[in-house]
Amino acid sequence: MDLVLLLQRIFDALFNSAIYSSLALALVIIFRSTGLLNFAQGEMATFTAYIAFVFLSGPQPRLTGGGLAGLVPGVPFPIPLAIIGAVICGMAGGAVTERALIRPLGRAPDLALVNITIGILLATNSLMAQWWGTGPRMFPAVFPSGAGQNFIILGARLRYSTIGVWAVLLTVLVLLVLLLRHTRTGLAFRAVSISPSSAELVGVRVGPTLMYGWALASGFGALAACLSANSVLLEPNMMLRVLVYAFAAATLGGLDSPKGALIGGLIIGLSQTLIPAYVPFIGFELSVLPALIAMVAILLVRPAGLYGTKRIERV
Amino acid sequence: MTSLAPQRFGRLGIFGVVLIMVGLAIIPFVTSTTGLRQASQIIISVLAVLGVNVATGYGGMISLGHGVFIGVGAFATGYYVDGLGLPWLLAIALGAATAALSGALVGLPALRIKGIHLALVTLGLAIVFQPLSKRFPKFTGGVSGKGIEARFVAPSWWPGDTRMATAVYRYLFCIVIVVLALWATWNLVNSRFGRSMRALRDNDTAAAVYGVDLISARLQTFAVSAGLAGLCGALQVLLVPFVSQEIYTPQQSLVIYATAVIGGLGTIWGSILGVIARTAVGAAGKAAAGADGFGPIGEFFDLLDEAAFVFGLGLILLTFLFPRGLAGIKRPKRTTG
Repeated sequence: MDLVLLLQRIFDALFNSAIYSSLALALVIIFRSTGLLNFAQGEMATFTAYIAFVFLSGPQPRLTGGGLAGLVPGVPFPIPLAIIGAVICGMAGGAVTERALIRPLGRAPDLALVNITIGILLATNSLMAQWWGTGPRMFPAVFPSGAGQNFIILGARLRYSTIGVWAVLLTVLVLLVLLLRHTRTGLAFRAVSISPSSAELVGVRVGPTLMYGWALASGFGALAACLSANSVLLEPNMMLRVLVYAFAAATLGGLDSPKGALIGGLIIGLSQTLIPAYVPFIGFELSVLPALIAMVAILLVRPAGLYGTKRIERV
Repeated sequence: MTSLAPQRFGRLGIFGVVLIMVGLAIIPFVTSTTGLRQASQIIISVLAVLGVNVATGYGGMISLGHGVFIGVGAFATGYYVDGLGLPWLLAIALGAATAALSGALVGLPALRIKGIHLALVTLGLAIVFQPLSKRFPKFTGGVSGKGIEARFVAPSWWPGDTRMATAVYRYLFCIVIVVLALWATWNLVNSRFGRSMRALRDNDTAAAVYGVDLISARLQTFAVSAGLAGLCGALQVLLVPFVSQEIYTPQQSLVIYATAVIGGLGTIWGSILGVIARTAVGAAGKAAAGADGFGPIGEFFDLLDEAAFVFGLGLILLTFLFPRGLAGIKRPKRTTG
């Protein structure tokens, strides 16, 4: 086996790993607090990438759908500002979704929650297709990613963009940990995640806390979409397959473990690049199949994943 | 949770049946061969929705991936009728059976994976299906799909062999199959098996205590449900002799699921109502989409054209307003546990 090639593939995989970890974190934050798998997470994230796209391209009616960008002063924005703007919009969207669609349901059965998220998925997906068209859009690279913009380590190229996304992801993670450990909101969120009813009894306001959780999760989703829109091309179905990888990562790590999401994303990202490279039948396009098989296998054999809490059910 | 007593036809039901029959009888006289084919496609889509209804409404297993079984049914039927040269009726039956078998395979993990996690797995399946089917060009025609050589034509006793006469024959054939499938499903869900299916949905531990074989009941439910969707796929090939992975998108699977939920889960009527609602929304959307002079708001009218958008919103609204779907609006809430 060619070791340099292997190292090269691992370096290439690290970029996707960061994206999957980020989206998996979004899924885990919501699952942990509400016990809900947000099937619409990918579409909500794609929508924010389109918002960033609108911020970037300015008031050109044909590009931005009805010239809505004209309402925002100062467009086109530079890339970092556009992405921060999109993440803020995404967080607001997540909070509104929780308040308007999830909280009123209360303790609804699984089916109702699935219906809501599938409804959001379908509506958002066709809204984007209608508004921006189904064709792929060029989204500028956030970090320099052209030819030669890389470090050479042991003969393999490590791109600046890969280092960039990991730097962003780790920075945000540190902020998240600080928020959870050292603020009242973080404390409330941890309490609600462990036991909503007990948290309520000691005076934590569960509703607003969950709303913060949704905002945080949607922020991670928005970040994942904006950072990957350059490499996968911006189109309405952009995050659909990424969602399977992210769900596989979250399941592998344990659906209620943020640490698991990070490590799961790393493993799934590596296997997505390495398996097609060494198993010819899989190929690039079908690399989503091993992720699905891994997900099913984990759910069957060890539903708690690597770091998740084992659930004990009373029968 | 609904009562386990058999569902009966009310006065409203009989009125509905008469109305639908009159509508179906008028269609061939007022439309072209293309219109008739589209009507047939709408009619057979009831089968796929019914399939979701059996798995999710009666069996309590959320399936977001029934487009996969439609695809398996279509690809298999195309192969049987073209590759193996089997007669159409046999090919259709075998196509549905193949889909049922694939459904039983998917049902295997469903023995342990439940609720929201099963929804996740079936959604993953719907997303994997397109790239996976490109890998088997012998059956699917690969990326671009393939035409089916064999044609489904009327037998010699049928009056006329014009294009219109053939279209009418196919239309009636589809109606007969759908009615037979509805009747069979109706009987199935009201049989002993149907009762164990629903008992399983409501409380599997209690069902097991009362002697329901959980494993075989779950597998059979999934097989029947996938078989119905596969039958829909088989009839698609009969109407349009072309198979391609392109139409089996995840969105299509989700729209089928949404149709089943919006129509009403756990009633046979729900599946028919869901398809009628989807058709009506699509038609209204087409009419509204042409409207001009609304400025930027006009773009929202174009959205109505997309059944996916309206049904996405409909799914959210109905979950709040009528959790039992369109078919459940009239029924009073029962308090049986």
